Amino acid sequence: MTFIDKDPATAIDLIKAGFEGAGYICDRHIATSIYLSQKLDKPILVEGPPGVGKTELAKAASEILGAPLIRLQCYEGLDESKALYEWKYGKQLLYTQILKEKLGDLLEDAVGLEQSMEKLHQFGDSFYSEKFLEARPLLQALKSEVKVVLLIDEVDKSDHEFESYLLEILSDYQIPVPEIGTIKAKTIPLVFLTSNNTREMSDALKRRCLHLYIPFPDAGLERRIIQTRVPELEENLRNQLVSFVQQLRTQDLKKLPAVSETIDWARTLLLLHADKLEVDLVRNTLNMLLKFEEDIDNMSSEVPKFIAVAQKEFR
Amino acid sequence: MDRPLADFVEMLRYSDVPVSISESLDAAATVQIFGYKDRGLLKTALAQVMAKTIEEHENFDRCFDEFFSYNINPDLAPDAEFSEEEEESSGNQQDNSPEDGDEANDNEAGGPASGGGEGGGGLSGGKNDGSPAASLVQMLEQNDRTALTMAMTAAAKAANLSGIVLMTQRGLFTRRIMEQMGLDQVNKEISNRDKAGDTEGATRLSERLDILFDSVRDLVERQLAFTSSGKAKQFRQDILKNVRLSNIEHRDFKHMRELVRRMAKRLTDMNSRVRKVKNRGHLDIRKTMRRNVAYDGILFETHWKQKQKDRPKVIAVCDVSGSVAAVARFLLLFLYSLNEVLPKVRSFAFSGTLGEVTDLFDRYGPEEAVPLAIDEFGGRSTDYGRALEDLKELIFDTIDNKTTVIFLGDGRSNGSDPRIDILKEIKQRAKRVIWLNPERKSVWGSGDSEMLRIAPYCSTAETCNSLNKLELVIRNLLKSS
Repeated sequence: MTFIDKDPATAIDLIKAGFEGAGYICDRHIATSIYLSQKLDKPILVEGPPGVGKTELAKAASEILGAPLIRLQCYEGLDESKALYEWKYGKQLLYTQILKEKLGDLLEDAVGLEQSMEKLHQFGDSFYSEKFLEARPLLQALKSEVKVVLLIDEVDKSDHEFESYLLEILSDYQIPVPEIGTIKAKTIPLVFLTSNNTREMSDALKRRCLHLYIPFPDAGLERRIIQTRVPELEENLRNQLVSFVQQLRTQDLKKLPAVSETIDWARTLLLLHADKLEVDLVRNTLNMLLKFEEDIDNMSSEVPKFIAVAQKEFR
Repeated sequence: MDRPLADFVEMLRYSDVPVSISESLDAAATVQIFGYKDRGLLKTALAQVMAKTIEEHENFDRCFDEFFSYNINPDLAPDAEFSEEEEESSGNQQDNSPEDGDEANDNEAGGPASGGGEGGGGLSGGKNDGSPAASLVQMLEQNDRTALTMAMTAAAKAANLSGIVLMTQRGLFTRRIMEQMGLDQVNKEISNRDKAGDTEGATRLSERLDILFDSVRDLVERQLAFTSSGKAKQFRQDILKNVRLSNIEHRDFKHMRELVRRMAKRLTDMNSRVRKVKNRGHLDIRKTMRRNVAYDGILFETHWKQKQKDRPKVIAVCDVSGSVAAVARFLLLFLYSLNEVLPKVRSFAFSGTLGEVTDLFDRYGPEEAVPLAIDEFGGRSTDYGRALEDLKELIFDTIDNKTTVIFLGDGRSNGSDPRIDILKEIKQRAKRVIWLNPERKSVWGSGDSEMLRIAPYCSTAETCNSLNKLELVIRNLLKSS
């Protein structure tokens, strides 16, 4: 996709159209941040409530840019050996075993320990070369010949050290491997970091990123999302369904239903061959939208009211 | 970086959006890409570069609207030159290509604002300081907009406009700047012309003078908006930290909330930092063997015993009865913030009976949750005995040697038995028991206060009546963990 040389407004419209083609409906904010990150070579820190499509954004971006997606799922205790690189110990061991004979031959004429050592040194650190390096997601992204989309998912779940470790990668796109040297990115990847805000990210990390906040979509946007994602759903039902969910979001709930839940619910209704919202049907499928028993109990008495409003809005 | 952007960054910093230098560089690059033409687009883009939290985004939006409606809009409006005579000279530039238009905007925007920026107009100041009075009449006469702006900037600097803090200083500063620019001369000239019968000339000059007055007033207003909100806030917050909790007024609640939140965050950041003893200490034989099975049992990879992360488990109990009504709000607020930042806090409130408020805190913002908690549990007379009984029944089993139990209350039990025995049991099980009392130590034990009986069964019992004290106590407590 070539939008990089266009003037900003056109480029952003192009990106929006591109995303729509990939089945991801986005607003101007999202398109702008993709454009900016390409222009400024900066990672994007995506925040927002769960289920608004943060991870989807990275997938869609990889699709429209035609760049492979490399994903790193963060969790507590994630460390460099799982995120960056590891030495292939097994392979190293195997090779030393196989090459034992060879080494014996090579060292045959050496006299004494000192000379043998000297001789060995001549072969360099062949066991600590890139051939024995097991690349993990971050290193893969840097070593890739083509442009990739790197998704560092739920970065807020990782530890403080790991967050600090990311800083060098995010600002300079390089990582040091002590045995080999610093590995620099061949092509600068498009980096997405997603966060659910379970903890505040450090200022140093934020400073290096563009900050994109994705809120719950408004009714119009959500209708378009459902239309793209569940096209088989009939228009009237779709409108009612979105109106219902939007009303639900104004309620005081433990967990508000997100877009992904709306999509799931739309699919459920489709499977059940529903043609309009009915009280019993909604009550029975409410567990697709609400994920806490308490919320379901509280809301099930409100269901008729919401349906009435939704049907009044879209006849 | 161009000047309006520099001013904008300054404004953001005063409005609680901390923009770092690298971020402002990014902002400059962004402006270069987008230009000032499409305001909506620029706003979207700059927001992502400069604001890094949701709150900051709100502030940013407000600042952006304020700043750019003020600064650049008049120039872009096609009829600007008719409404303001000063615009005449720049009018021709606006008809040019968009790029030139942008440049013109930059200059224009930079003009009125530069009084505040450090070094702003430093160069022009040198030029104009010499004989400002003589030229002001001329400048007005010729309507030399650039010269006027430069003179205004220099005068603002001479009048030390950046020192403005209060609303009431506006008139003073406007006057000073005008005088610096040579107001007297112009007034004399006007009256001279009047005497000489040149009414038309006099009116023209005074009209232009009025316009100049307006722009100076604008300049002052803007500088005020820049500095005052930030400075005044800083001032307030410094005071709030030291004031007794019971003396803080309701309207400061919001500021207070912010302070408490920051404090709690700092404390937890400090405390939850992982203590890394990796690769030092003892070899974990079992795990090492397990890992190296793949290598034929040759010990290739070592595994070291790691220290578990220190995760404080806190149970906080807050008295919200009448006797501590004045401080209850803030104690609860503190509890709330603790809840926000520590993963495992269970909060309880009581006056007569005791109940858990953790859930309440989880669901509502502090503005709602705190009054709700007071409504639900407050108002009755304190009964520590009852509260401790309830507490024991509710959570005694979950208290273990990693738990810290914090009581916030004055220890006045209205004569009823405070059930020290339960407190003793709790202390035996918990890692520590901390009692924070808003009263001074000298009145402990007076009247119905049971503090002297309570204190021996706490790991620490401290007076805690201001935010700074609170922070000190909590910090010590976390340090010793």
